[in-house]
Amino acid sequence: MAGLYRPRRASEWATCAVAVLLIVLGLPLVIMGTELALLGGSLYYILAGTAIVAGGILMLRGSVAGALLYLLAWLLTWPWALWEVGFDGWALLPRLLGPTLIAVLVMLTIPVLRHLQKIAVAEKDIA
Amino acid sequence: MAAVNPAAATALCGLVLLSAVAGMVPARAQSAYREAPPRLSEADASEQKEGKGLAAPSPFAPQAPGVNAANIPDGPPAEPGEATPAVEQIGSHPAHDDWPAYGRDTDATRFSPLEQITPRNVGQLTRAFIYHTGSKPAPGQANKWAAETTPIKVGDGLYMCTAMNDIVKLDPETGKEVWRHNAGVKYASIPYAAACKGVVYYTASTVPAGQLCHNRILEGMLDMRLIEVDADTGKLCEGFGDHGQVNLMKGMGESVPGFVSMTAPPPIVNGAIVVNHQVLNGQRRWAPSGVIRGYDAETGKFLWAWDVNRPDDHGEPAEGQHYSRGTPNSWAPMTGDDGLGLVYVPMGNAAVNYYSGMRSPEENRVSSAIVALDVKTGSPRWVFQTVHKDVWDYDIGSQPTMIDFPGQDGPVPALVVPTKRGQTFVLDRRDGKPILPVEERPAPVETDVEGDPRSPTQPWSVGMPRLGLPDLKESDMWGMSPIDQLFCRLQFRRAKYEGEFTAPSVDRPWIEYPGYNGGSDWGSMAYDPKTGVLIANWNVTPVYQILTRRKADGLMPVDDPSFKAGGGTEGKGALADTPYGIMASPFWNRYTRLLCSKPPYGMITAIDMHTRKVLWQHPLGSARANGPWRIPTYLPLTIGTPNNGGPVVTAGGVVFVGATTDNLLHAFDAKSGKELWNDVLPGGGQATPMTYEYKGRQYVAIMAGGHHFMRTPVSDALVVYALPGNK
Repeated sequence: MAGLYRPRRASEWATCAVAVLLIVLGLPLVIMGTELALLGGSLYYILAGTAIVAGGILMLRGSVAGALLYLLAWLLTWPWALWEVGFDGWALLPRLLGPTLIAVLVMLTIPVLRHLQKIAVAEKDIA
Repeated sequence: MAAVNPAAATALCGLVLLSAVAGMVPARAQSAYREAPPRLSEADASEQKEGKGLAAPSPFAPQAPGVNAANIPDGPPAEPGEATPAVEQIGSHPAHDDWPAYGRDTDATRFSPLEQITPRNVGQLTRAFIYHTGSKPAPGQANKWAAETTPIKVGDGLYMCTAMNDIVKLDPETGKEVWRHNAGVKYASIPYAAACKGVVYYTASTVPAGQLCHNRILEGMLDMRLIEVDADTGKLCEGFGDHGQVNLMKGMGESVPGFVSMTAPPPIVNGAIVVNHQVLNGQRRWAPSGVIRGYDAETGKFLWAWDVNRPDDHGEPAEGQHYSRGTPNSWAPMTGDDGLGLVYVPMGNAAVNYYSGMRSPEENRVSSAIVALDVKTGSPRWVFQTVHKDVWDYDIGSQPTMIDFPGQDGPVPALVVPTKRGQTFVLDRRDGKPILPVEERPAPVETDVEGDPRSPTQPWSVGMPRLGLPDLKESDMWGMSPIDQLFCRLQFRRAKYEGEFTAPSVDRPWIEYPGYNGGSDWGSMAYDPKTGVLIANWNVTPVYQILTRRKADGLMPVDDPSFKAGGGTEGKGALADTPYGIMASPFWNRYTRLLCSKPPYGMITAIDMHTRKVLWQHPLGSARANGPWRIPTYLPLTIGTPNNGGPVVTAGGVVFVGATTDNLLHAFDAKSGKELWNDVLPGGGQATPMTYEYKGRQYVAIMAGGHHFMRTPVSDALVVYALPGNK
């Protein structure tokens, strides 16, 4: 895998920002989620946090797989949330609202990441 | 209701992202008890060293100067006797148009027979007038205000007290001040809150009609004075006590201003004023006494005392002695029963509230209980306890309501007892026996607090619907985003929690739920005797707390010279004279200031007392004035907020309740529970509203004084509504 890509255009800078956001948001989930798991609590947070941080790192490296990893975690969050609290709107709010807003941002990065990957492949071919 | 503000709604979404950042910021001084702790005084430290802290203080300790704010001389020594024979008081048979007592009538039903305002027209209510009491924090004064006032209305007068005990008579039509009695209460005398729930209307038996002080307004004051003024002029009644005032500090022993105070209207039962007072929670084991006393309504002379640890001595303490210290106090409005000659005293806890290891058997018998005292002698006739060995601050704050319980063989004289637990006990007033079944259920006993075993069982009123929600679980934790929600889940897992009676813990935080602001707190209930429907608004607000070893924390009681004013009684407490201290806070995310449990936090319920079935129940209060970081969201969504203040029900079929932290006065259809109308108040509506008719027009009044602990805006406005003028 290639190293970190160097953002040039605004859309690439924005993608980079989304990736950093994922890492920043994912780390507290991993840290606190680890303690929660050790105390016998829900395993969701450590798993989701790990996926989100990994997704962010992959995105920083210009990989579309990072975005897809986040979206997978987000998709799996829905059945988990409904399993845990049912259709209680107030209880679903913290579980789904924020992750869904971020999912929209992450989806927007996919074309940018695809473009970056193409360039990377092309550069490899030239080399 | 306020329209949706799109900008605010978008902002909320933005906050979700910001919360992540907030979650990363290290703990900083946001929490109420993060201020630098005051140092432990030397005297206190040596007391601990020598182990003297566990002994009762000398009963000969002199009364500290300055506690009797008005310097009223003590009255003559007690002489055995009965109250001056009383004439029937207006509260027992209120005129159709009146609201002559705090709970509308002596039964404390909060039911008005008025019918002008109905579910059909309540939507047209407009403000008739606003009266400004003038009582709010001066610049530089910490806000300790929570007026909690319900005015009374008799004939041509609307009578009320201000948060600082001035008494006023208003024109019920215009709100113009007819007279004002300035009480001169000092800021230092404010205990936990500057509150005055109401005044009492009294018609004298010895002063003929037409003379000064035939009709009187009685008030118990923050600085422990009992005062009577003429209802027509506001002038002090010379024949009462010392020129109109009685010094209630007599016999109380050492104290400081604000340690003991009266905030609830004292009932007059068969000519005896029954006086209770609050004692600041969590300060020291040997706090001033919680003694309940009787005084002659006509003369102000002492009649009797009920001092828990001196059960056979109903007189005043001899010169230089005092009532037994640390005994359970009562701060709720009491209910008087002229027919049975009883007063029903909703008891609080023996000092201190979170540690029961030093309470006497007599104290353990009456803490958090309803005690029926004989108003002639001051002796208990019966006791019913709602929590055994209470260390959860589940003291009884609400006024019990007298009803004719619809029994199988006809009506039974009953007492409906709301509690902070959301358990509603229904007792026979004659003997205190439960009319509806009460079960003793096992309670957790595991505790690491030495020498303070818990009761193996606690009483549950299984015949009444529970005004509460199931025990908390980890997935009930809440927030705006997974991050702050996770923070709360972690707090939950770190704490000890075994349901409602989780025993206190020294080494681990523990969770108390439904919390010291739970159930009805002090709001009380409303009962429509015609339909047999009981209306109750209630709370479920978890508390996160830990008992600590006091030395490490340096917490000081209020009467220590190095005491620093802080979070009041709810929060940190020195629990001086005991081996422990307490740190308590709402169970919230200290970064976002959102409660850690999911909504709702407040509900309103209607119960049919014929069947004890819930007729309707739903969350009470919207999210409009609340939000993360205390930023109002302006969202008109009914979320169910914490609420303080009781409901009112009318024959017109409307329920009025303020209480919620959205600063609204709400009107509901009594039959369906549908919210029909609301209006934004100029301050928090943490008071029970009232309604009256004057010159053919029905009015609804609420004191929008705000509440410092509920964090609602303080104001000095009494807001009065009516239907648009009849043309």
